[in-house]
Amino acid sequence: MSAINQTATDIGPQTARSHQGNITIQDLSIVFGSGRSSFVAIENISLDITSGEFICIIGPSGCGKSTVLNAIAGFTHPATGQVLVDGQPVQKPGGDRGMVFQQPSLFPWKTVLSNVAHGPLMAGRSKQAALAIARDFLQIVGLANFENNYPMTLSGGMQQRVAIARALANYPRVLLMDEPFGALDAQTRFMMQENLLRLWEEFRITVIFVTHDIDEALLLGDRVIVMSAGPGQVIEDIRVDFERPRDADLLMDTRFLILKKKCFSLIKKESLLAFEQQKKSSIQKAGKHN
Amino acid sequence: MLEKSTIFDRLTLFLSIPIFLVIWEAISRAEIVNPVLFPPPSLVAVALYKWAVDGSLFLDLWMSLSRVIVGFVSGALAGVVIGILTGRYRLFSNLLTPLFQLLRPIPPIAFVPIVILWFGLSELGKWFLVFWGVFFTVWIAAHLGVQKVDETLIRAAQCLGTPDKKMLREVLFPASLPYIFVGLRTAVSISFYTLVAAELAGTFSGIAYRIDIAQQNLQVGQTIGGLVILGIVSAVADRGFGALSKRLVWWG
Ligand SMILES: Nc1ncnc2c1ncn2[C@@H]1O[C@H](COP(=O)(O)OP(=O)(O)O)[C@@H](O)[C@H]1O
Ligand SMILES: [Mg+2]
Repeated sequence: MSAINQTATDIGPQTARSHQGNITIQDLSIVFGSGRSSFVAIENISLDITSGEFICIIGPSGCGKSTVLNAIAGFTHPATGQVLVDGQPVQKPGGDRGMVFQQPSLFPWKTVLSNVAHGPLMAGRSKQAALAIARDFLQIVGLANFENNYPMTLSGGMQQRVAIARALANYPRVLLMDEPFGALDAQTRFMMQENLLRLWEEFRITVIFVTHDIDEALLLGDRVIVMSAGPGQVIEDIRVDFERPRDADLLMDTRFLILKKKCFSLIKKESLLAFEQQKKSSIQKAGKHN
Repeated sequence: MLEKSTIFDRLTLFLSIPIFLVIWEAISRAEIVNPVLFPPPSLVAVALYKWAVDGSLFLDLWMSLSRVIVGFVSGALAGVVIGILTGRYRLFSNLLTPLFQLLRPIPPIAFVPIVILWFGLSELGKWFLVFWGVFFTVWIAAHLGVQKVDETLIRAAQCLGTPDKKMLREVLFPASLPYIFVGLRTAVSISFYTLVAAELAGTFSGIAYRIDIAQQNLQVGQTIGGLVILGIVSAVADRGFGALSKRLVWWG
């Protein structure tokens, strides 16, 4: 704990992005393709996210969770509506919005340290400063001893911690996480969730975390956004106000179980709907061939 | 049944070439076939020794190697640079890819006659042929390699603030190096094929040239000796390049 506190205060002045990371999504619709083959992935989503909030997004697979993140990151452009980050419309990807993907996506030709130093270097810091920042963040995720390793020599969980350190080293306004622990085994995932919570409590950065795991969403989030199947819409915005710091005991708590049940029935209904839709459209397609 | 290597494994591996030489020697000495046309390895060794002591072996070797090196390096550089451009930028791809896809399948050897018209028997013609063979192989590897770069890796770099103008150097180039090196290694062998064609077409030195001359003088020992040299040199080049690329692109 002391190492964490110390490092966090060392770099404290540079993290002066508190009160930043307010995100407003206004009537956002996203359409893929054009003309007759166009496909509405997201329809009229509006969300207000306050600086420092931990938001989890859940929903059946294919409902557009990644698409929402991609719109905030600037990879996908709105058909209608807009995404504002601290009042500025998102135009293109940038270092102020960090992202962690399901696969660690580290640069395999760079050492762990150079991976984490990449962002600060791109932001124009000197090599020395970038390396110092990278070392601090590796310390924070507990991988200081692995700075000279290459990514492929690390386990999946360790690689994902490097990816988190790398995203944080840019002092982003918001951390976008797209099922970051989805590929990890249950044991590792659990450790990663606890680590992430400690990190977030330290930095109080805005986090938008996509998952299909209801336990994970309720354990981590201040709010859980439930999305409906195609086209993606927000059907519930659940406030999760369990006291922090949270740990595994919460999973047995009655209040937790009540919320879990609520989420579960919402998702189940949506998944069945999505399944029916897919069945219908495939029957229609099959019909066309006859 | 390839399990861990035993002493027996190592022994048989070590004996592979000697056994071959002994059988060859025996067949040749038994005069089952015409020994003039099929000299035993001992006579090939004598021919190689003579070739070496009069010094011309090393000159021939140097001439051949210099042609391979000049052609390979220039072809590889051009192939990598242009491959990355056509693989990543639509303008270059539109202008060049159809042309290259038409020229690429033509065996480089087929260019020998026109190369002689253009360059005569000069070194330039030899370099050009090797360049030509190497270029297309490396170009297609770089072209496809840079297209196959994992989209998530590019996105990760963008989210870390990598500007578009640095993306090539920071991500696209290093990420496509494993593919490029596969192409480069194939090109090493190709450069030796084209070298042979280039030297047979007319020159005054080189290993393949000497093979040709020896054949005309019915010095079958030297003809086969030349083949042995070509075999050793290209095997060493291929293995050496393989080892080098393992060190340079260890993550691939
Ligand atoms: N680039 C794209 N082109 C066409 N369709 C896409 C594209 N990206 C996603 N989609 C479609 O949009 C829908 C939502 O996708 P996504 O956001 O990845 O869902 P989720 O992350 O919730 O599983 C899916 O039906 C998917 O097939
Ligand atoms: Mg997704």
